Amino acid sequence: MSLLFVFQIGIREIAAHKFRSVLSMLGIVLGVSSLIATMALTRGIEEGTRTFMQQLGGLELVTIAEKNPSSLKMDFANLSSGLTLRDAKVIRESASLISHVSPEILIRSLVSSFGSSGTRERRTIQGIYPDHFVIRIHQIGAGRFLSDLDVQRGSRCVVLGNTVATQLWPDVSIESIIGKTVLIGTSPFEVVGVLDFYQSEEQARVRRSGKTSMRWKWDPFRVKNEAVLIPFTTLFHEFRSGSSSSSDEKPDASKPNASTVPKKSDATPESNKRNDSIDSIKLDALIVRVRDLDYFHPALDQLRKLLDITHRGVDDFDFETREDWFDRVESSVRAARLSGGLISAISLVVGGIGIMNIMLASISERVREIGIRMAVGARPRDIFLQIIIEGMLISLIGAFLGIAASLGLIEILKLISPTENVPVLSWDGVLFSVVFALLAGLLSGIYPGLKAARLDPISALRYE
Amino acid sequence: MSLIHLESVSKIYRVGDQEIRALDQINLRIEEGEFVAIIGPSGSGKSTLMHLLGCLDTPSSGRMVICGNELTRATQDQLAHVRNQEIGFVFQAFNLLAKLDVISNIELPLIYGGVPSAQRRERARKVAFEVGLGDRLSNRPPQLSGGQCQRVAIARALVNNPRIIFADEPTGNLDSATGLAILGMFDELNASGKTIVLVTHDPAIAARSRRVIEIRDGHIVREYKP
Repeated sequence: MSLLFVFQIGIREIAAHKFRSVLSMLGIVLGVSSLIATMALTRGIEEGTRTFMQQLGGLELVTIAEKNPSSLKMDFANLSSGLTLRDAKVIRESASLISHVSPEILIRSLVSSFGSSGTRERRTIQGIYPDHFVIRIHQIGAGRFLSDLDVQRGSRCVVLGNTVATQLWPDVSIESIIGKTVLIGTSPFEVVGVLDFYQSEEQARVRRSGKTSMRWKWDPFRVKNEAVLIPFTTLFHEFRSGSSSSSDEKPDASKPNASTVPKKSDATPESNKRNDSIDSIKLDALIVRVRDLDYFHPALDQLRKLLDITHRGVDDFDFETREDWFDRVESSVRAARLSGGLISAISLVVGGIGIMNIMLASISERVREIGIRMAVGARPRDIFLQIIIEGMLISLIGAFLGIAASLGLIEILKLISPTENVPVLSWDGVLFSVVFALLAGLLSGIYPGLKAARLDPISALRYE
Repeated sequence: MSLIHLESVSKIYRVGDQEIRALDQINLRIEEGEFVAIIGPSGSGKSTLMHLLGCLDTPSSGRMVICGNELTRATQDQLAHVRNQEIGFVFQAFNLLAKLDVISNIELPLIYGGVPSAQRRERARKVAFEVGLGDRLSNRPPQLSGGQCQRVAIARALVNNPRIIFADEPTGNLDSATGLAILGMFDELNASGKTIVLVTHDPAIAARSRRVIEIRDGHIVREYKP
């Protein structure tokens, strides 16, 4: 018997009992649509997280953070001067497995434009080295990045995030902002560069379509767009080395300030005092980039050995890797996918039971038909195949209805979900759910099919 | 060897702990081209015999060979194959599929015989014309009269070009005039070389055959030529 014909019989049978068939499909429709929607949601979270991660830098980044030393070493914890610029310099000179080192210090200060009507706002100012641009994956929109020379000379130049620049000088192209003067606190700085405007693809899409974001939410790109970046040395000499009131202190001030070097190394010669004071400054952040991911853990070992020396054996530092973060995100996505998948699987099983129920009712209604088919030469396996195909057809139609429903569902979810985690329809999710639905149809057809195939032709023919 | 060959065939049903010998040590040969009537009152075992001969069942004991197929201990698949290739059935209640039109009902055996679609239609149409239903191909059984339904059933029995036609009370649901017309068709079929086995309780119908086998309580009690 040709398979095509079995399909024809199945379709005719389903069409003959439309309402009943649709009812039995319902479980499959719900199961398939919820499965696809769940997979789209988790895929959306994954992709949102991935773009977020990419903006913050990849797996190669390691943040060196301070922590309390272990209790064993508490007694001589004072020997360590904490995380300092010296650490950064040592890493740059000696850690061969590290390609970039970005020490940062921060202050908060008022930022305003000189001779313009733009905003006057308190912002976070970052003192940086040029490696910062590589590690934070910045792109320059106009002008230039800060250079090694800027850091060496402690020059008063600044690179602005796009949002900051456009708020300070509204209605002006970013190219013409280059060369203008910004006041940080009361100190004038020359704008040498403006960064690109960063946004996620979803934000770009929303912006292009003319819709404005309906509400404020935490935006991974916001931090980068609001950056105010000046040379590390400039920030130190301008705002940190003196007392808090003398923010306009000159960078070439030669008198050492004891307050900024609380744990000065006794081995340091007096002639190096000025350098020593900046080298001993506590960093707000120290981020390094591993040269080669294949040597990620050796690189961490290398870092640890170096820092053990500079911290005199006090374990008051720790490494935060993106690996941990990725793992955490991945495990939560996996958990979401698993629970969603489980719920969908349960409804698919329930759907399968519904189909089985209908198939059983259908064959007891068709005993005589089965007897006739057997009398003219249908083998038990022909009857079995017919029932199985019918079950699978019902579940397949249910699956297609479910796919259609899930497309609608995803559109609704898109409206209510945060933009960076917008659900993404995954075709392997669609495929997976169709396969699962077919499996449910197949399994639910087996018992009714066996029952039908085992009918005795004589009693089936006599059945009224 | 005969077309149908039964050698001390018994069929025993068990109902509870009671044993019912529906057929008891039956010996029977039917040759190609015969027109045989099996007659007997209800409960005599004639239907059971008919089911065995029609390959719908296997005997409890004895030997059964039909159209050269040793079916004494046949599987369902073997029985289905013989039914499909060698046997056509005509039932009292017609046993057509109400959901299918005339042509689809007629081609049903060809489907299970694995005949390709185009050839199937062609043969079904030809047989439908032979039984005089050429203008009714797309009707469905409920739209037909009893006589027309039985013609459809005969066409379905003939479509595989079987060697034996079994008819179980083929006129039981028809008025006498229509019944006569149907019986006339069996005469014609027999004349064209088909072996016909007709089961009835009516001696008048049995009298149209060439050989009558009377069965009672599971035994063949009499055999005669009308």
